[in-house]
Amino acid sequence: MTSSTCKSLQNATRFLSEKSELRTVLESFLNKTMKIKMSDGRSLIGSFLCTDKDANLILGNCQEYIHPPEMEPKEEPRTLGLAMIPGHHIVSVHLDKVTEDEPRIL
Amino acid sequence: MAMEMQHNWVDVTDTFRTSCTELKLGELVHDQYFGLFEAMSAIEMMDPKMDAGMLCHQSHLVMGFDKSINAGKLKKRNVLMPELIAIIDDTYACLVTWLEGHSLAQTLFTNLYLHKVHDVDDRQVKAFSIAMLKIVDILREIVSRASVFEEEDFQPLTYGFKMAADISEVRTIGMVKEIEDDIQKIVKSTRSKQGENRDAQTTAQHSEASALYTRLKFTRLLFVTLAGLNKREDITSTVGDVKKYLNQCKELLQSMLTSVDLGVQPVPTQDTSSTVTYPTVMGFEPLVNQRLLPPTFPRYTRIRSREETLVYLDKLMSRVEHVCNVVGCSGFHGVLDFMRDFSNRESCVLSRSVLQMLYMPADKMVYAVTPIAEVLRETARNFICPPALMPKSSLANNPLTKEHVDAFIVQATRPFRALLQITGNNRARQRDKLAHVLDELSNLQDEADKVDAFLHNLLIKSEPQRQHLACFGSWVLCHVIQVMIQYLLLGFELELYSPHEYHYIYWYLYEILYGWLISVLSRADGFCVEYDAFVAEQQKGRNKKAKKKKRQRPYARDITVAQAYQNLSGGLYKALAGFQLEGRQKKPMFEFDSEQVRYEHRFGPFGSVNTPPPVPFEQCQALLKVAKTNFVVMKLLASGHKGDSKEPPEFLFTPHKAFPIIRIT
Repeated sequence: MTSSTCKSLQNATRFLSEKSELRTVLESFLNKTMKIKMSDGRSLIGSFLCTDKDANLILGNCQEYIHPPEMEPKEEPRTLGLAMIPGHHIVSVHLDKVTEDEPRIL
Repeated sequence: MAMEMQHNWVDVTDTFRTSCTELKLGELVHDQYFGLFEAMSAIEMMDPKMDAGMLCHQSHLVMGFDKSINAGKLKKRNVLMPELIAIIDDTYACLVTWLEGHSLAQTLFTNLYLHKVHDVDDRQVKAFSIAMLKIVDILREIVSRASVFEEEDFQPLTYGFKMAADISEVRTIGMVKEIEDDIQKIVKSTRSKQGENRDAQTTAQHSEASALYTRLKFTRLLFVTLAGLNKREDITSTVGDVKKYLNQCKELLQSMLTSVDLGVQPVPTQDTSSTVTYPTVMGFEPLVNQRLLPPTFPRYTRIRSREETLVYLDKLMSRVEHVCNVVGCSGFHGVLDFMRDFSNRESCVLSRSVLQMLYMPADKMVYAVTPIAEVLRETARNFICPPALMPKSSLANNPLTKEHVDAFIVQATRPFRALLQITGNNRARQRDKLAHVLDELSNLQDEADKVDAFLHNLLIKSEPQRQHLACFGSWVLCHVIQVMIQYLLLGFELELYSPHEYHYIYWYLYEILYGWLISVLSRADGFCVEYDAFVAEQQKGRNKKAKKKKRQRPYARDITVAQAYQNLSGGLYKALAGFQLEGRQKKPMFEFDSEQVRYEHRFGPFGSVNTPPPVPFEQCQALLKVAKTNFVVMKLLASGHKGDSKEPPEFLFTPHKAFPIIRIT
C-alpha cells in the first residue's frame, strides 16, 4: 500500500466519522428507556427503537401516562406497545441514565 | 406494584433534535433487529383514527363515578321518575348494543351507576343496577358456555368490573320486587276515581309510575327467565314456565314502547365534532372507559335508540321462545334439523347459544340426563336398523359386537357434537367449520366401513340369509353428503361464487351430491323395510295380534325432497350451460384466471372424503364437453336439422368412458 493511498483512506475515515458523530450519539440512545412528553400533555415511557430526520420516534413496550409520571398520586399507566410519535408532537425527550453505583430497582 | 422503577431522567431534547436534523431524508437510526417492517405495526400517536387515548382529552373532562358525584353531575339519591325511566331505557339500549357484538366497556359500563352499585343511595337505581349486572353476568355465562361465538359476534370481556356476585339471585329478585310494590302503590293512589277530577300533576305522576312499574317488572321477569335457562340440569319440564315468562315480557315490552317519551331526553351538547361521544342523560359517560380499550384503533360504538331497543328485545323474546321448542324434537336428527332451520332464520348469538345449552346443558349429556353416545346409538338404530343394534339377532349377544360398536359410537360423538355446535355459529364461520368437520367424518367413515365388514362376517356365520353391509357406513355417509351440500349452498348465501362458476356448482349438486343422497336414503329405506319384514316373519308363528304396524318407506318424504332439489339444480345447471353456449355468460380473461384453480378451490375440502369420491376437474371438463355437444346436437335435431337422414347416430366415447357424444351424419 502506498503512503498516498494510505493517507487518502485515513482522510476518508475521518470524514466519515465526523459526519456520523451525531449519528453515533443517536445510536448510543438505542434500546435505552426514554420519556417523551407530547404536545397534548401526555407522557410516554418506552425503549427507543427508531428515529428519522423529522425526529419522528418509535418507542417499544410503551406506557402511556395522562399526567407527568412523577406526579402524585401515581396513576396506572396504559400499555400501548409499539408507538410512533410524530416529531412535531414531541415537546421534550428524557433519557434514563443508569449509573453503575445506583441500583435501578428500589 | 411493589417494586417501582426508579428513573434517572436526563433531558436530551436539544441533543436529540439537532442530531436528528443531521440525518438525511429517508435515513433511519435503528437497531439491526428493528426494521421498517416492524415499524409498520406501530400505532401513530396523535392520530385521531389510531390513538384512542387522545380522545380522553378532547373538549371535555371525562369523570368517573366518584368525580361525577362530587361535581354534582350524578345524583346519589332522589333520582326522579322521568330520570330513572330514561336511565333504564338507555341501559337496555346499551345491553342490546352489547349483544350485537360491541364491548361492555363502550356499552353497559358507560352507565356510571353500574361501576359502584353499593355506593348508590337511591334504592330504585340500586336495585335496577344490581339486577342489570346480574343479567349481564348470566348472559355472558350462557354465551360463553355454549361457545358458538367468534369475536365478531360477542365480546365477553368484563374489564375487571364487579358483577354483583356477592348478592344472591333470590336477594336480587326480592330487591326489585320491593321497589315494584312501592311503585305499584303510587300507581294505585294516583289512579282516576269515579266522580273525581285529577289535576295534571297527578295524571303525569300516574303515567310515570306506571311506566316505571312495567320496566321494573320486565327487568325482574327477564332476570328470572334467564336464570331459569342457565341451569346445568334438565330443564325440559320447566320450559313451559320459561315460555310463560317470555310471553309476559313481550306484553310488558309493548307497554314500555308506548311510554318511551316519558323518560328524560338527552340534551344535545354544543360539541358536535367528536365521533365517539354522544349526548346522554344523567348517569352515562360514553368516554369513561376509553383507557380500558386495547391500544388498537378506537372502535366507535353507536348505541341503539330506545325504540329500536324495545323492538329488538321483543324479537329476542320471540326467538328464545321459538328455541324452547327444541325439547319437542324427536331424536338427534330431529334436533339437528331444528337447529339447522333456526340458523337459517334471523337469529342472534344469544338465541343460538340458548338453543345449544337447552339441548346439552352439561358436557356430553343431552338434556343433562342422557349421554350423547346413547343418543347416537339410538339414532343409528332408528336410521337404518343395523342388525348389530337390534334385538333378535345373533349379533346382539356377542361380546365382540358390543366392543366394536361401542368403539365406533365413541369415535362418532366428537364429529356429531361438532355438527350440532356448528349450527350455532354465524353463517360465514359455519362454512369454515363444515370443511373441518368433513375431515373427521371422513375418518369416521373408514371406521364405519371396517366395523360393518367385521359384523357382516360375524353375522353370516350364524344367519346366512341376513347381511350387515354398509349399515353404519350409510349412516355416516348420509351426514357427509349433507355437510357437503350445506357447504356448497352456503357459498351461494354468502355470495362467494361469481356467475360464471355457477354451472359447475349446480352440476356437482345435481350430478353427484343429491344423487348420492337419494341412493343412500333409499338404501336406509330398504334396510328398515327388510328388518320389519324379518320381524314379522319371526312373529308369524307365535302371536298374530302383536304384529306391529308395518312402516311404509320411512324416508319417502326425504327422498322426494332430495329429488326436487336435484331436479332444481339440474335445471339450473342446464340453463347455465345453455347461456354459456350462447355466449351470454361472461367469462374472466384466462390469462388472469384459471378455471381449474377455481374449481379445485371450490371443492377443495371434499378431497379428504373417500365416498363420494371427489370429482377431478378433468373429469368434470370431459363431462361438460359431452353435455354441451349433445345439447347442441339435440337442439339441431329439434329444429329439424337432417331430419330426412336415415343414418344411425354415432356414439363417441373418447371424452368420457360412460357418456358418449352423439354424432349424426
